[in-house]
Amino acid sequence: MSLWHIRTVSPCMEYIELGRACYTTTPPLWGPDGLIYNGHLITCPRHYKQTTNDVANFFYEPGNDRLIAHLLLNTTYWPGWDARRYEFDAETGKWLNRDSVLNRSSDSWIGIWGAAWTRDATMGSFNKIYACRNSETAIREISWRSAEPVEGGWWVDPYTWNPKSIYSFAVVNRVDGLLAAASSWTLDCWRNIGTTPERFAQLRLPNVLNYLAYESRRNCWGITRDGIIVKADYQIPRWEMTSQVQNPAADARGYYITYDTKRKQAVVFRWLPDAADGACRSQLEFYYPVVKATLLTQPVPVTSLKAGERVMLVSHLVGDAGEGVTPYTVEGELLPPAEGYLATPVSGTEFNGRACFIYQAPWQTCTETLKVSANIEEP
Amino acid sequence: MYEKVFESTKLVTPDGSYDAWRHLFYLPAWDAFMAVGNSEYARVFRDGTKARFGVRSGGYEPLGRVRGVPAWWKPWTKRLHPAFEINGLPDDNQVLNPAWEVEYGVGPSATRQAFVDEAARLYLHQATMNRIDVYDLGVGQVLYQITHNAGAWFTSVAWADAGQVACLVKSTGAVRIIDYLRGRVVVEAGRVDPFAVGAYDCRHHNFVTLGADRKVRVYCRETLPANLSAPQFEQAQVRALKANAVRARLTGQDGEPCAGWWVHWELLGVGQGAALGYLDRNVSKTDEDGWAGNLYYGPDDGATGQSRLRVRVVY
Repeated sequence: MSLWHIRTVSPCMEYIELGRACYTTTPPLWGPDGLIYNGHLITCPRHYKQTTNDVANFFYEPGNDRLIAHLLLNTTYWPGWDARRYEFDAETGKWLNRDSVLNRSSDSWIGIWGAAWTRDATMGSFNKIYACRNSETAIREISWRSAEPVEGGWWVDPYTWNPKSIYSFAVVNRVDGLLAAASSWTLDCWRNIGTTPERFAQLRLPNVLNYLAYESRRNCWGITRDGIIVKADYQIPRWEMTSQVQNPAADARGYYITYDTKRKQAVVFRWLPDAADGACRSQLEFYYPVVKATLLTQPVPVTSLKAGERVMLVSHLVGDAGEGVTPYTVEGELLPPAEGYLATPVSGTEFNGRACFIYQAPWQTCTETLKVSANIEEP
Repeated sequence: MYEKVFESTKLVTPDGSYDAWRHLFYLPAWDAFMAVGNSEYARVFRDGTKARFGVRSGGYEPLGRVRGVPAWWKPWTKRLHPAFEINGLPDDNQVLNPAWEVEYGVGPSATRQAFVDEAARLYLHQATMNRIDVYDLGVGQVLYQITHNAGAWFTSVAWADAGQVACLVKSTGAVRIIDYLRGRVVVEAGRVDPFAVGAYDCRHHNFVTLGADRKVRVYCRETLPANLSAPQFEQAQVRALKANAVRARLTGQDGEPCAGWWVHWELLGVGQGAALGYLDRNVSKTDEDGWAGNLYYGPDDGATGQSRLRVRVVY
């Protein structure tokens, strides 16, 4: 794990079960059992009436202290699709509106316009939810319930700015008049968005962005399509950290990140392909916004290995993504039979996780083994 | 030949089966290396630990830059952008050559690297396999040329020290340290094993390479001893009751001097006879030219005969 993993809720949601034996062959659209859309969903071994088609939005909703996901589903029932709001407990990840969703209650129905025309919503200034749109170039304040624009709500249209821009992801800081937005590889930082918008900087991402989340008036979080997590200060702007999700999976269909501003933790929705029987495998992952040390690299000499001289050896305490971890203490020990001695048996890590040891070599030729270790405590 | 101080057992392999490493850069903020493949970025540590960092975006070609953090050339705009110190990715907010466009023939590539020093407003381009042209970064004019006679394209040109670049040739492992700012000459020549991609660690002054076998090799910037000459007296006639200067030279595989090595001296008798005379020191250190010196005092009792001097280096 790279960011400090707290818990995973897997699966975090379910699909509606068929409630009878699955079909041995794919049922036709219109047959003895009536109208059946997407018949492959209930062809053995699959036996669920739904599957995820798209994750439109995933964000932390501070008013209700919940994690919200707006999903588009393919279904076997009319009209062949569904658009639902999934609500999760921000503390535990428990699925709170399970009954409502599985019973297809109107309470969790969000309608096609919110789910299909609104994308990649995230919390922003004044605890409101803002989103880019598939149907227009504007960025709007939206309803957390339906994902539809709030009537009379705040909006801007970057397509009217210079340079004209169309975004898929945006973080809105109305207090400081800032906007950080991206469409693929580059995070554009705008200021004076209420008066004369000016794109004052751009940050290059390590891969195509998959989701962007607001943390504060200064910071935002992004996650790429391969699970790399980046934190940016969009006021300066600069990158603050690069990390990744725990065990990034090649078959993951998408990663969606949000930041729980109450608990100060990052939450990732990992959209995974369905199980062989069609069961939902998507999961919620909770992380502290710090890197967990997982690896201590082998100490490598960086000075000449001369007899009678001091030799510097360098090791790194890093997370899975190679991020340096500090402050930690790395201990070194020469395993017997030792012929030289370790002048610095303990070293503190630098920001990049580097720990440095000085070894005094004897006058004669020898082979030594340096063992390094670090004690990582759970918070 | 520079001294190899480490060779990894771990292999640094690109994720894509058809991918290959194209560049390797030392990033001071990481104290590790950024490996750039055709379609991948990775963070590589000296012991061969690799962490995938991202996907390479098209349209940028990396090159060496002053103070160690690389720069990126964007062929579409012909602009040079510095890399973000924290992650090495191109920083489009800054343009190092606002007034001059680096054309295709002058831009860097994986087989023919370049270097930019925006502090001194210079751009180093390999005009031939034996010469570097130094351009004015402001107007794009060649200010002067530096002849190095390496006979091959440098595939890595990395900042080594103030006004100096370390240039490496992957096919032969040839290394040239070139003073591009003041002396405008090759100040040091050496060699490492042939490699696939190489970098210069400007913090520890090491050469770090990724071989075709995908192992990481670390070479410190000191010559590995290969030959120690027989001791030579400065005056052929050795005299008793007087200090006779004697010295031996330590050199590398290609005859280059080895500085800073301890040479051990021993005075031995010949046959059954005891050693005659005395040595001033048991060990002495080689100087910049590879010479280690000592003093021999002949016997003070008028004895005559033969003695042997033995010198050795321990490493």
